[in-house]
Amino acid sequence: MRMKLMGVSALAGVLLVTLPAFAHHAFEAEFDQKKPVHLKGTVTDMEWINPHAWIHLDVTNPDGTVTNWMVECGSPNIMLRRGFTKRSLEKGTELAVEGYQAKNGTMRANGSSVTFKDGHKLFVGGSNPDIQGGEDGKK
Amino acid sequence: MVRMRISMRGLLVAVLSAAAVFGQAPAAPAPARAAAPAGYRAPRAYDGHADLSGIWFTTSSANWDLQDHSPQQGPMWELGAIGAEPAGQSVVEGGSIPYLPAAAAKKKQNWTNRRTTDPEAKCYMPGIPRANYMPYPFQIIQSPAGILFVYEYASSNRLVNMGKPMEAGSDTWMGTNNGHWEGETLVIDVTGLNGLAWLDRAGDFSSDEIHVVERFTRVDATHMNYQATIEDPKTFSKPWKINLTLYKRVEKNAQLLEFKCVEFAEELLYGQYKKK
Amino acid sequence: MKRGAFIFVLGLAAVTAWGQYVAPKTPWGDPDLQGMWPGNMGVPMQRPAAQGTRTELTDAEYAQRVQTAKQQAAADAVDVGAPAAKPGIGPPSYWTERGTPTRRTSLIVDPPDGRLPPLTKVEETLRKEARGGKGFPGEWRGEAAAPEDLNIYYRCITRGLLGSVIPVVYNNGNQILQEPGYVVFRNEMIHESRVIPLDGRPHVSESIRMYLGDSRGHWEGNTLVVETTNFTDQDAIGSNGAGYPGDPGHHSRDLKVIERFTRTGPTSLNYEATVVDPKTWTKPWTILIELKKDDHFQLLEYACHEGNYAIGDILSGARAEEAASKKN
Repeated sequence: MRMKLMGVSALAGVLLVTLPAFAHHAFEAEFDQKKPVHLKGTVTDMEWINPHAWIHLDVTNPDGTVTNWMVECGSPNIMLRRGFTKRSLEKGTELAVEGYQAKNGTMRANGSSVTFKDGHKLFVGGSNPDIQGGEDGKK
Repeated sequence: MVRMRISMRGLLVAVLSAAAVFGQAPAAPAPARAAAPAGYRAPRAYDGHADLSGIWFTTSSANWDLQDHSPQQGPMWELGAIGAEPAGQSVVEGGSIPYLPAAAAKKKQNWTNRRTTDPEAKCYMPGIPRANYMPYPFQIIQSPAGILFVYEYASSNRLVNMGKPMEAGSDTWMGTNNGHWEGETLVIDVTGLNGLAWLDRAGDFSSDEIHVVERFTRVDATHMNYQATIEDPKTFSKPWKINLTLYKRVEKNAQLLEFKCVEFAEELLYGQYKKK
Repeated sequence: MKRGAFIFVLGLAAVTAWGQYVAPKTPWGDPDLQGMWPGNMGVPMQRPAAQGTRTELTDAEYAQRVQTAKQQAAADAVDVGAPAAKPGIGPPSYWTERGTPTRRTSLIVDPPDGRLPPLTKVEETLRKEARGGKGFPGEWRGEAAAPEDLNIYYRCITRGLLGSVIPVVYNNGNQILQEPGYVVFRNEMIHESRVIPLDGRPHVSESIRMYLGDSRGHWEGNTLVVETTNFTDQDAIGSNGAGYPGDPGHHSRDLKVIERFTRTGPTSLNYEATVVDPKTWTKPWTILIELKKDDHFQLLEYACHEGNYAIGDILSGARAEEAASKKN
C-alpha cells in the first residue's frame, strides 16, 4: 500500500518521490472500506505493541448493550520516543474513533482518526503528560 | 577461535575516546574491585571489568522444567522419543516455586494446554530469565554502549544499560535492563517485562509485575554461574531464586546461526484460517 | 612555521593537515563507529532519469523537496479527523518519523546514472513466473490463501540485510556496538543484532543459509569492510524487505553484499553497500546512505510477530469474504 500524501494533493509540479509503504501491512487486506465505523467509547486497555498498537474500547450500542472494540493504531515506538508512556492513556478515557471494520466481522477497526471527547486528536503534539483526559486538562 | 585479548593500555584512552564518540562525559570505567572470587579471576575486558564476552549455552534441562522432573511423554506422541521430555534436576533454590493458590491453578492449566499455548511453540520471544537457558546459544558483547546479549533463538536480544538506570516506557518481551558491577559479578535488574513469556515449557509463568535480578559470575575459563532472583507479588508468595551453569562454546568456528522460527509456527498460529 | 604550529595544536582534534576527518579509536584501538545512527528517509533509491549523472539537486529542486516535506509534515499532523476529510484506510498518519530532506538525488551512486542496472533475463522470467505466475508476494495484491501469500515483512520474519538499513517512514533505529574482535549492527525493526567477527575466519559452509546471510568484517584503514554471503532468496531489497514495484526487489541465493562503514565527521557516517548478484542484475550496484548520529534516539523493542494480529485477521477476512460471495 502506498501512503498517499494526504492533504497535499493540490501540489502542482511536485518532484514525485516514491515513498516506501507506510503501514506495516496492507490495511485494505484487513479492513473493509464498505464498513465504516464511528465509535464512541471508553478505554478499557491499551496494548503498546508492535507492529501496531491497539486501543480497547467499551462502546455502548444504541440498545444499551456494551461491546468491546479493538482499534488499531501505528507503531508505538514513535510515540514512546516523543515521551508518551504506558501510563499516557488511562482506563476510562473517552474517545471517538473513525475507521473501518475488519473484513472478518470481528469487533476490530483501524483507527484512522482517534480523538478525545472535545475533538482534540490523540497523540498529536509531542510529549504530553496531560494526554489523559484531553489536552485542555479536563478529565 | 582466535580472540583479540585486551591489553592493559586501554583505560585512559577509553575515557578520551568515549567522550569524543558520545559527546557527553561517560561514567569513568571503574577498575574492577574484586570481591576476592574463590581462586578464579577472569581475563579483563577493555575497561578492567571481568570479561564475560563470548558464546554461552546451557545443557541444563531448565527449559523443559525448572523443577525436578522425571522423563515423560512430550506434548506430541507423534514425535516418539524425539519429542519426549528428558529428566532433570531442579534449578530452583529450595526445590519448588512458591506459587500463590490461584497461580498454582493457572500453572496446571498451562501444563495441560502447553502444546498450543507455550509462547515458545509460537516462536515468541522468551523473555528473561528463560532466554538464558533456551537450548540455543547466545553471545555476550561487552561494549562501551552497554552489554548486549544476542540470543540465537528468534533473533532475540537485549542491551543492558550500564550507566544511570533507565525506566521502562512500556512493557516489552525482553524487559528494561539496567546493569552494574559488584566486583566480578555482573548484576542486571530487569523490569518492564510484559509477563507474557513463560519461564519454561512446563507452564511456569508470571504476571507483568515480575521483577528479575540476575547475577552472572565467571567461575573458570569455560563456565559461568547464572543466578536469578524472581519476584512477582501477583503470582508468587515470596521471591525465589534459580541457579544454573552456563558453558562457553570453545570450537574455533563457534558462532551464532539463525533461528528465525516464525515460519515454523505459522501453521500452529494461522492454520485454521488458511484456504481449504 | 606559525601555521605548522597551529596545525600541531589542532592535531589532537583528529583532523589531519589535509583536513580529512580521522575517526577516534575505541579503547582497544579499532576505529570507533559506535553510536545511534537512525536512518533518514530524505533520498529516493533511484534517480529520476532527467537528472542524469547529477548527484545533487539544484537549489530550485531542493527548495521544492523542502516545501513538500513541510507540507507532508503538516498533513501528517492534522489531516485525518478534519471535518471534511474522509478517513483513509490506514492508521493515523502522524505515526511517522520521516526525517529531513537532503540534497542527494539518489541512494544509488553506482551506476553513475543513479539507477539500477537491468535485470538478467533469468530474473525477469523468475519474477513473472514465481508462485505459479502470481509473482513474489511483495505488495499485497489481494491473495490471502495462506501466510505465504503475504510478504516477509507482513509476516514479521525479517526485513533482510539491506531492507533493514534502507530508511523507511518510521523506526529507523540503527545502532553500532563494538567489542574487541566484533562489530554489531543492531536495528530496531525487526529486533535483529548482526554480529560481525573481525578475526578473518572463513564463512560458514554454503549449505547453511540465513536471511541476514553470514557476515565477515575487516578494517581497511578507518573503514570497516563487511562481506556477507550465504543468503536465502526469500526476501527482497527495498520496502522493508518486501520489494514493492520500483524497488530493487527479489535477489538470488548467490547474493553477495559488501558494506563499507566510514566515519566522515563527529556526527556523520557513510554507509555504502555494493550488491553483487550476477544471477539477478547484469552489473553490481552501490548505494550510499549518509547516517547522522543521534544518541538521544531511543532504540525500542519491536516485537513484531508477537503482536501480529494482522495475519490472522487478513486470512480470516479473506475467508469471510469468500463465504459471503458463495452465499450470493
